[in-house]
Amino acid sequence: MSKKPPFSIDLGNLKSRPKDGSAAAVAKADLAGEEHGFVDREPRRRPGRRPSPRTGQVHAKVLPHVSEAIASEAKRRGVQQGVLIEEAWALYCARHGLAGDE
Amino acid sequence: MPVIAIASPKGGAGKSTTAVILATELAHAGAEVTLLDCDPNRSISLWASRSPLPARVTVRSDIGESEIVRVIKRCDADGAVVIIDLEGIASRLVSRAISQADLVITPMRATTLDATIGARALALIAEEEEALGRRIRHAAVFTMTRAIRSKQHSGIEASLRGQGVDLIEPSLMERAAFSALFEFGGDLRSIPAQGRMDGALENAAAFAQAVYTRLLEPVE
Repeated sequence: MSKKPPFSIDLGNLKSRPKDGSAAAVAKADLAGEEHGFVDREPRRRPGRRPSPRTGQVHAKVLPHVSEAIASEAKRRGVQQGVLIEEAWALYCARHGLAGDE
Repeated sequence: MPVIAIASPKGGAGKSTTAVILATELAHAGAEVTLLDCDPNRSISLWASRSPLPARVTVRSDIGESEIVRVIKRCDADGAVVIIDLEGIASRLVSRAISQADLVITPMRATTLDATIGARALALIAEEEEALGRRIRHAAVFTMTRAIRSKQHSGIEASLRGQGVDLIEPSLMERAAFSALFEFGGDLRSIPAQGRMDGALENAAAFAQAVYTRLLEPVE
């Protein structure tokens, strides 16, 4: 079988035409696509935080001011935020007579 | 370098086969080619994993709609012909890739279903041309064709030509060598012989040359 190309390409003649890749141009293309049913079909991520890959723990979301307060207290004491949460959980268990503090 | 999008919202129309044949033939003729695998089925990545890539071909995988424009721009500036194998659905990723293309090729089998769904890509291109204020060169190619042309094939071809659709000749015929590319990787010169290899080589090269000619023509 011949290895010689049946045709050759003159790279100097191959040129890309200028195309607008700005956000405005992409938005126009999106709009044009939507009119023909070409819509966003990227797989949706599940809302919420993923379980930690290391511990499998799901990290609860808290209000921003609570998050900031926990972070600030942990920093002041020089411990991880999880230590404060463990202490809070122990207090909760003690108050409600649960055995979860062991 | 030019950006070629292989687009049809119809699955199984022959997009990945068209992309691999075009990429390997253009590379064999001397061009640096970057193949972007934007199909969740990862057909191009599968092909690339089968054996070392042919000379002058590189592959990039896992490109989503949020990065497609940026990736095309970067590859475009690298001095390689960019060939984008798009997913077989009507998605925003497809419309964004078309917005950055110098040439859009819509592969379709010579069936009413393929032609009807493939026509949606052509309609989208027309809409994007208007929205972006630039002409986007596009053409269709029949895939998996047979030596004896069916009445349906002739009817669809006449209809498309009547609508002013640019049909690439030759079509890509149904050949064992073309499907074997995904079994062995590489190009038509490196895979073990499958059926009439000289016919497959001639078909692939003539198709790539027809595409190359279109890349040289000025866009009015």
